[in-house]
Amino acid sequence: MSNTLRPYLACVRSTLTAALTMQDFPSQVAERHNVPEIEAQSTPEVLLTPLLISRNSSEQVLIEPSINSVRISIKIKQADEIERILAHKFTRFLMMRAEAFVILRRVPVKGYDISFLVTNKNVEEMLKHKLVDFVIQFMEEVDKELSEAKLSLNARARIVAESYLSQFP
Amino acid sequence: MLQLEPGNRFLLEYLEKLFNQEKPSSVDQSFVDFDSTKYHLSTQSSKSKNILTLSIEILCWADLVQHGARAVLEREYKDHILPEAETEQEFNVSLKIDLETLPKDLATRTQLLESFSLLKRNALAAPFEKAFEIQKRLEQNPPGPDEVVKKEDLMIVRYRPEEALYLLPSPDRVTAIFSTIFKEETDRIYGKVFLQEFVDARRRPSCQTAPQVLYTNREPPLEIRGVKGIGSLETGENVGYVTFVLFPRHFTPTTLPSTITQIQLFRDYLHYHIKCSKAYMHSRMRTRVASFLKVLNRAKLDAALGEGERERKTASGRSFVRA
Repeated sequence: MSNTLRPYLACVRSTLTAALTMQDFPSQVAERHNVPEIEAQSTPEVLLTPLLISRNSSEQVLIEPSINSVRISIKIKQADEIERILAHKFTRFLMMRAEAFVILRRVPVKGYDISFLVTNKNVEEMLKHKLVDFVIQFMEEVDKELSEAKLSLNARARIVAESYLSQFP
Repeated sequence: MLQLEPGNRFLLEYLEKLFNQEKPSSVDQSFVDFDSTKYHLSTQSSKSKNILTLSIEILCWADLVQHGARAVLEREYKDHILPEAETEQEFNVSLKIDLETLPKDLATRTQLLESFSLLKRNALAAPFEKAFEIQKRLEQNPPGPDEVVKKEDLMIVRYRPEEALYLLPSPDRVTAIFSTIFKEETDRIYGKVFLQEFVDARRRPSCQTAPQVLYTNREPPLEIRGVKGIGSLETGENVGYVTFVLFPRHFTPTTLPSTITQIQLFRDYLHYHIKCSKAYMHSRMRTRVASFLKVLNRAKLDAALGEGERERKTASGRSFVRA
């Protein structure tokens, strides 16, 4: 299972490094406005081809580049109910703190669990390779966190049940 | 804190303070317990401040009285319980505590304090004791295989507005069925994980002697489905039914009190731990988010340092910012 993880992350890394080449693009629709074109979708010619990288049908990364912004949407693996609830809570937690994260989008793209929006301004202020590092590390850590949380929940449940039932004579 | 305490701690400490005080003072204290139980501790008459009245109001008192709660309480608190006519207004049972006639030695006093703090537990013990008696009776003369469960033998205690406890004695065991409502989706899923562990716990060596636990979601278990006159049984997504099968070794005269105490607290115990887990998950997520932020700031901070480097000075002292 994890032998597909390394190529998957390597692929995402190289795609992101290529996609995060952006330049400033003043809006052609409204004078003196500067909007992330991938969100506004106002001029079709500056939107580049979206790329979908799938590890399997439940783990995918959608990268939508444009001339001055890139939208990265991640679909996290959620096998059962508990994982679904934990993933939902975790992503909601992160998205509420989107301002602190700068590149995080407050609402995920439809069909995905969490989305990032990186503009040319962000890339100018931050080191590109570190940004890519962050996204890759994020993807790894979220999976790890989910499985750890699930394990700890099961361990808690076991202790609770055992301590209750061992009280009986 | 893994286990919930069966007695009311506040009542215990407050009464202890009152017992040990130098001069009797007037008291008027209301407080609550699990399952919307209300207590009221007061000095009724201003002249004799050493007579305290402790009243309790339990939501399911009507059900409990039907199963002999009054007799049990009279047995436990024979010197203190007030007859029905003198019960405080809006409450179900009142006890009278006379501070002057307290036992002098510390051990008996502590025991008395503890028995007062267990007031709710003793009231709720009545249906259990009745169930165990019926079981003994059934054991003596077991019913024929065709006799259906008698309505009188099934005891219902509606200890919360939408949740109830069903007690069903049989010749060789007593079955206690809890119905519980999970108000939130997350509660329901956490509850399922916890209850699955309860069912599986029997495999472990430390819990070999524990009662058997069964869990069903949505539909009430077969034992109570067929019985007529039980009233409406809750069904739906948010309802869970937990069945405890108690064998005779759980209610021998020595083990009976502790079994009853344990079983009573089950529902509150379960929900308390579900909420603790939710809080734990929350704090875990918060630490994880903080670590992510640190990683992200690493990207930013280096750039800011890069900013500092861009300002340079020439040999003659002119400074400029590198693009």
